[in-house]
Amino acid sequence: MSKGITLAEALARYRPDADLEPLPELTNIDALLNTYHPDHLRDSLVKLAVGANAGDICQRELAGLLQAEAFIDEADLAGTPITDVDVLVIGGGGAGCAAALAAAENGARVLLATKLRLGDSNTVMAEGGIQAAIEPDDSIQRHIQDTLRGGHHAGDPALISAMAGDGPEVLHWLIDQGMQFEQTPSGDLHTRRAGGMSTARLVHCRDYTGLEMMRVLREAVIQHRSIEVWEQSPTVELLSNELGQQCVGAVLTSLLDGQLRIVRTRSVILATGGLGRLHLNGFPTSNHLGATGDGLVLAYRIGAQLCELDSFQYHPTGLLHPSHLAGKLVTEGVRAAGALLINGLGKRFIDELQPRDVVSSAILRECSEGRGVYIDDQRTGVWLDTPRMELAQPGLLERQFPNLMSRTRVAGVDPRLEPLLVHPTLHYQNGGVVINVSGATTVPGLYAVGEVAGGIHGRNRIMGNALLDIISFGRRAGAAATANRDRGPKKVTLEHVNRLRRALTLAKLPMTQRSPQILPAYAAGGAWNL
Amino acid sequence: MTAKESENSQHRPVALTINGLAVSATEGMSLVEAAWHGGVPRVTNVGCMEGVCGSCRVMLRRGKEVKVGLACQTFVEDGLDVIFMPPASAPQHHYEISDFKDGWDIHARFHKIFPEASRCRHCHGCDQACPKGITVENGVAQAAAGRYREAGETFFECIMCELCDVACPELIAPAHVGLFSRRITAHFHLRPPNLINRLEELRQERTEACRDADSEK
Repeated sequence: MSKGITLAEALARYRPDADLEPLPELTNIDALLNTYHPDHLRDSLVKLAVGANAGDICQRELAGLLQAEAFIDEADLAGTPITDVDVLVIGGGGAGCAAALAAAENGARVLLATKLRLGDSNTVMAEGGIQAAIEPDDSIQRHIQDTLRGGHHAGDPALISAMAGDGPEVLHWLIDQGMQFEQTPSGDLHTRRAGGMSTARLVHCRDYTGLEMMRVLREAVIQHRSIEVWEQSPTVELLSNELGQQCVGAVLTSLLDGQLRIVRTRSVILATGGLGRLHLNGFPTSNHLGATGDGLVLAYRIGAQLCELDSFQYHPTGLLHPSHLAGKLVTEGVRAAGALLINGLGKRFIDELQPRDVVSSAILRECSEGRGVYIDDQRTGVWLDTPRMELAQPGLLERQFPNLMSRTRVAGVDPRLEPLLVHPTLHYQNGGVVINVSGATTVPGLYAVGEVAGGIHGRNRIMGNALLDIISFGRRAGAAATANRDRGPKKVTLEHVNRLRRALTLAKLPMTQRSPQILPAYAAGGAWNL
Repeated sequence: MTAKESENSQHRPVALTINGLAVSATEGMSLVEAAWHGGVPRVTNVGCMEGVCGSCRVMLRRGKEVKVGLACQTFVEDGLDVIFMPPASAPQHHYEISDFKDGWDIHARFHKIFPEASRCRHCHGCDQACPKGITVENGVAQAAAGRYREAGETFFECIMCELCDVACPELIAPAHVGLFSRRITAHFHLRPPNLINRLEELRQERTEACRDADSEK
């Protein structure tokens, strides 16, 4: 089979003003997904042997981290300084900030600890927007249905209706915090329709929605009297009570001085985000540096149930070029605004607004069947036809996608004149820690919100539901964690770690690997090639 | 540079210094990639790697010229001397937006919170420091004159790297002035009819649901 159409040949064939052949009919979506989606790659799945999900299918690299040795044991806790707070929030992205603010609004003394800098997160990179059913022809019910359908009916209807129902109130709260949104000339919030939506529901702030949200929430957290922030402070382990059955705090370290610190608390809210930087199945990622799945590891070790550990989202339009942006996203908003996907033969091959897993699988099919644009053995992709969109709607890219323009300008690429080379990139963890509508996990005292939590997006998240998810459940968990009037822990232990060690020994699993990962190996002074 | 041209220029070695260590990189690498490639230890103030989180602040020395920038948006050059800067310190200006009851006294409040904003000495330090090309000094002047909507628009692309805060000899904290301007504009003036209508509908549905529940008892 041919490797694809060479770059020179594909460029020669490419015409932004060419008439396109009609789209071939998409007959069997399931077959497309089963053959080409990376979740179905052979040898990428294993069965978990220990823990709350023993017997369940899990992605291989993730399973290695879930069933690994901890960094610390009881001896390390002796003499470690202790801090007492009402609520500990772990993670400084949108979900963590929303949870911290909600807890503080409800009267809690909050400590927000984050591995990198406050605001360093995937939230800040979200370009497209946030879903909320606010248009007259739309309804909460339609939002619920679209989310369920987009997730292949694997999502928890209770969580989805909680989130969709919160949508309008979430926008109200964000505006109160000082977040701006794009408006129509009459003052309405401007909405767009994107992949998987039955109507226009995506509210946005040009293509900087996540940045606008993050800088506002970051400032609100920094300015709040009842919230203390510790940056560069990754969590290495949670703490449990004498029975190992309730979460009563966490052990943090510092990237600056390496000192361990114990935090004792009534409630811990995990808001650690996803795991793109584990580069599952060798894929590039759109995620920020800290997305190493720490929260999943911490939650699993203390006994929390997880779900959909074999389901990840590969965003269709990760950049192949320029190379320093490899894996970084071109927002789906560009496709929502009319940009088409074109293969090396100059033909369309998929309805661009199908759900992300379908579009990604179609791109991988084009590449593997020799119709991709071939650069070298590591890089084959398809065109995202931005010049055609610019011809049809002059000025649109500059006006609505300043972020894309400024990122590509640095590398001397002009998407108005040349199409972008794209390939699917590891983007989102569909599953995660099982939660209820309050964000509570199956372990008392432990909450999980945002990407680390699962059950909302089923097996595929549709655009704009992540930014809604983090605020909706962040606020729910912040309020619920504060309502926990438990007098707090008498004793903090690592009993849950001992329990897992016993289980690993019984299952004859090696304990050479330690987790959580905290930083990808290459960022800790490692290699340039992944 | 098109994809094709860049293929030819890659793999050319580039020698530079990062945090005092000699690093041999290849052309086309960002400074973040070069730091990792060269094994420079403890480069952890890195976040998004696409120029929107503002974490990877660096000082750049080329001969006698010293500039600041973002490591993920700057490419390796022969002889470049790079220092990764420590994270910004806590802000010195304090306010909580929920303390503002209405917008009529906002001008007085602004000058109380940011007293230095009207003392700009027009040194252009902030303008030169901004990696996004924002006309920071102009934005501060707009805010100081009470033109918060315009000031907020000027700061639209601000990524909160706070390099302008570092550059300002009057300690104005321009990034926070910009964000304050944006926040109060939304907080006091963003009242979208479609959202308000839907919120009202949902409120009425809840009231009716409560009434139905009561009548069933």
